[in-house]
Amino acid sequence: MTADLHTLTGAYAAHALSGGERLAFERHLAACPACAQEVRELTETAARLGAAVAARPPAVLWERVRAEVVATRQLAPVAGRAERHRRVERGRALAGLRGGRRRLPPLLAAAAALLVAAVSVAALNLGLPGRSERPVDLVAAVLGAPDARRVVAALPGGPGQATVVVSRQQRRAVFQASGLAPAPADRTYQLWVVDRSGPRPAGLVEAGGGRVTRLLDGRVTGTEQVAMTVERRGGAKRPTSEPVVVVDLEA
Amino acid sequence: MGRPAGHDPLERLLALVARGDEQAFAELYRQVAAAVFGLVTRVVRNPAQAEEVTQEVFVELWRTASRFDPDRGSARSWIMTCAHRRAVDRVRSAERAARRDDLAGRRDQGRPYDEVVEQVEASLEREHVRRGLDALTDLQREAVVLAYYGGYTHREIAELLGVPSGTVKTRLRDGLIRLRDHLGVGA
Repeated sequence: MTADLHTLTGAYAAHALSGGERLAFERHLAACPACAQEVRELTETAARLGAAVAARPPAVLWERVRAEVVATRQLAPVAGRAERHRRVERGRALAGLRGGRRRLPPLLAAAAALLVAAVSVAALNLGLPGRSERPVDLVAAVLGAPDARRVVAALPGGPGQATVVVSRQQRRAVFQASGLAPAPADRTYQLWVVDRSGPRPAGLVEAGGGRVTRLLDGRVTGTEQVAMTVERRGGAKRPTSEPVVVVDLEA
Repeated sequence: MGRPAGHDPLERLLALVARGDEQAFAELYRQVAAAVFGLVTRVVRNPAQAEEVTQEVFVELWRTASRFDPDRGSARSWIMTCAHRRAVDRVRSAERAARRDDLAGRRDQGRPYDEVVEQVEASLEREHVRRGLDALTDLQREAVVLAYYGGYTHREIAELLGVPSGTVKTRLRDGLIRLRDHLGVGA
């Protein structure tokens, strides 16, 4: 490696490299134990600089953090451990096949679902440049609202569940589903907000299964029901089938 | 992964948080919220945005606690690195131009590290760090303060200080090394 790369430990520890430089240096770090050690030490040093300007946050911040954390799924443990699990499960699945029984290794399915959840939450958490009406920001605003409330309902025929997080303050709600089977060909899932005047369309769920997160279209006050039906592609004006699931926000 | 979660209380808390322990998370917040919020405020310089970024940091700590690896550094360092990265991302995306003007104005009034001195309260740690910064050369100190507290890249610092960016890189490194020795940081 060039001498130049070795001098980047300080800039790296202080996050003073541009995106491309950082990636190049991280590749170098993986192959240079001396630099890796120096980065560890300089990162610890930088942390001390950070601690030297400590300031107590307003008390209300904890409430907001807690509310968002309650609605945030955690990442599965590190890849190394997951990989060992997977190998064990694969072995078991093979043994099951030989015994004439065919079944999905449950841990594998759970791990996959977790991974999808982690990726979608990670996408949501990416930079929020300020208050805006972009759906991703509104989703974050609802999930982070101090009055955010979660209502959960089981999806039929499996371990999946539908969750609605609603904030009266934001007058918005977010729909999340995990373990959702893909919609039949040429069909789509459609969400409805149902109040006394009946159902109104609240958006399509364009997911091929797994976990989905989307903002419900329109205002939600927290006294409605949220329903999901299977409709023809493009959606319908009125529901044409029995709901797959109903989440009662007043429950 | 080799070492067990041992003597460091923050490390133990993170291990519990990784398993979804909300009480441990509350305790973690109690212990590090001031450090995180103070650093983020220092970098983003806007109280409302600092609160937003601090919230993002704690949600990320909750979400990724299982990825903390004690072999790669202390829990405190991991937490502060996450806070610093988030704060830097925030200022680089949004406020860049406005802040540059702001900083150019302030640089005329005195060395940036004086602000550190102004803001810190009397505590041994703060005094220790201040002495460490004091012991650096002017260029080392300015490079470290602009990068770490200002959130600037080495190229921007080079432009601000009118020196080659290679010089900024080496001053950042030897400045932090001198600070490391002053603070007695081991790893």
